[in-house]
Amino acid sequence: MKGASRYLPSIPVLLAYAALFVFGLLNPGRWQLVAQLAFYCALGQAFNLFMGMTGYVDFGYVAFLGIGTYGMAISISELADKGLGLGVIVIGLILSVVFAVLLSLAVGAVALRLRGAYFAIATIGVNEGFRYLIEGARIWNGSEGIIFSRQLREMVGREAAMSLSTFWADVMVFGVAVIATVLTIVYMRGKIGYALAALRMDEDAAKVMGINVTRFKIIAFITSAALAGLLGATAWALKLTYVFPADVFGIHYTVEAIIIVLLGGAGTLLGPIVGGLIYGVSKYYLAVYLPGFQLLVFAPVIIVVIVLFPEGTVGMIKRKLIGTALEKYIL
Amino acid sequence: MSLLRVENVTKRFGGLVAVDNVTMEIAHGEMMAIVGPNGAGKTTLFNLINGVFFADEGKIWFEDVDVTHYPAYKRAHMGIGRTFQISRPFASATVQENIAIGAMFGAAGSETNVDQAMEMADHYIGLIGLSSHRDKLAGGLTPIEKKMMEIARALAMKPRLLLMDEAMAGMNPKDIDKMVDFIKRIRSEEGIAIVALVEHIMRAVAGLAERVLVMHQGAKLVDEPTKIALSDPRVIEVYLGVPPGEADA
Repeated sequence: MKGASRYLPSIPVLLAYAALFVFGLLNPGRWQLVAQLAFYCALGQAFNLFMGMTGYVDFGYVAFLGIGTYGMAISISELADKGLGLGVIVIGLILSVVFAVLLSLAVGAVALRLRGAYFAIATIGVNEGFRYLIEGARIWNGSEGIIFSRQLREMVGREAAMSLSTFWADVMVFGVAVIATVLTIVYMRGKIGYALAALRMDEDAAKVMGINVTRFKIIAFITSAALAGLLGATAWALKLTYVFPADVFGIHYTVEAIIIVLLGGAGTLLGPIVGGLIYGVSKYYLAVYLPGFQLLVFAPVIIVVIVLFPEGTVGMIKRKLIGTALEKYIL
Repeated sequence: MSLLRVENVTKRFGGLVAVDNVTMEIAHGEMMAIVGPNGAGKTTLFNLINGVFFADEGKIWFEDVDVTHYPAYKRAHMGIGRTFQISRPFASATVQENIAIGAMFGAAGSETNVDQAMEMADHYIGLIGLSSHRDKLAGGLTPIEKKMMEIARALAMKPRLLLMDEAMAGMNPKDIDKMVDFIKRIRSEEGIAIVALVEHIMRAVAGLAERVLVMHQGAKLVDEPTKIALSDPRVIEVYLGVPPGEADA
């Protein structure tokens, strides 16, 4: 596949996001559900960029969302009275990316030298460790967190602050999902995509072929972390206007990201949005009809998916479409 | 100037001395075979040459650069290509993608973009006669096709030295002869030095190599032109057990 046609698979993904967005605009009563779905899709898309493409499972992933949340919180709470207006939000987004990238460099420099399962084990402690560091060393107010709803109101006014956290924050989450989608296809179709695919299939053979596996893993790791930082800054900081370490470093968000990617299909472009929608919608309705039993229902579902459809929903669809005209749109 | 120089290299795994003080040289464009019974240390020597393992003692020079501590990917960039004893295709990538990965990241990798790599891959797919399998997943190939694909993948790296680990194991005499012709052809067409590891297929060694290095229990036993090496009484005694004329495949 050559030229622009290699980017065709991004069309169904971007159309799906557009459709979800328009559905939300047309049904204001369902906007919260739509925003939640967008969050899950964006989370999956960002997580897939590392886990799907490298085959490495980062159990500490939520720490990047957490530290991104702090990036926005610090920006607003410190700069609200400096007369920068919405520039503070931009600074907050940049800061969240910088924080996430720095943390990913520190984690990646150590953990990415480990293989497969050892990497996963090494990362399990990252978010818990980071949470206790913030609480114990009283960094950024420790366990009292940062509440910045007042600063946000004073900065942009009550009305604007309200629409920022109930609407524009969600729009930005859509934006993160789109950026993650675009980056994913650019990576997949570029040399880095082939390098990551090769190391995912056989890391030793990849090295012998001249692939600097550590370098490519770190690039994917940092990119995925930066997107997580943005997601924390928008979906959590701007939406909630406060941050507590106990909330933003919960490992269950990482588990949700893993479920979404596996449901949809790890390493596929379309997988995260499919997984995100399936997961988000079923979680929503399970919370309505079987409150408290969501995880109990999901655990066996995941086992069934992994055993029967190891390539996820999209992997299964891809198989069915081989040789048809639709093949070039699915990745 | 030799292409590759291995100087007094030793590799131990715990108490086992897998490669014991081996010294060898390969000239540009030379065709050499390393033979020895199972466990003689041939594959370990390969792994030391291309950086899968690092030597405990001794030095390795490639084109007069000390590469002893270079990681495998750097040695690949410098022009050391490799095929494996048990094929290691990127199973869920297509044949074309497998070979293109060699072109993208090998010695010419920094100047090769994805489209160029795919074109180069097509060239090498033609060379190995697998054009009809271009878009097949590599995992679905037959063992011999996988071996051929690995050779194409290594050639696409544009190596100056190609290490071939048991390229002919498990083949029948007819396929071995075909493979020998193919290896000779790529050597003259691509102008590269080739070192082939062979456990026991003397038909291949005699037809292929100008020089033979015989390994025994990790150490170098003989390093001579093929005819002399294969008739050396020490080789016959410790390795072949029977005269080379009767040891075909």
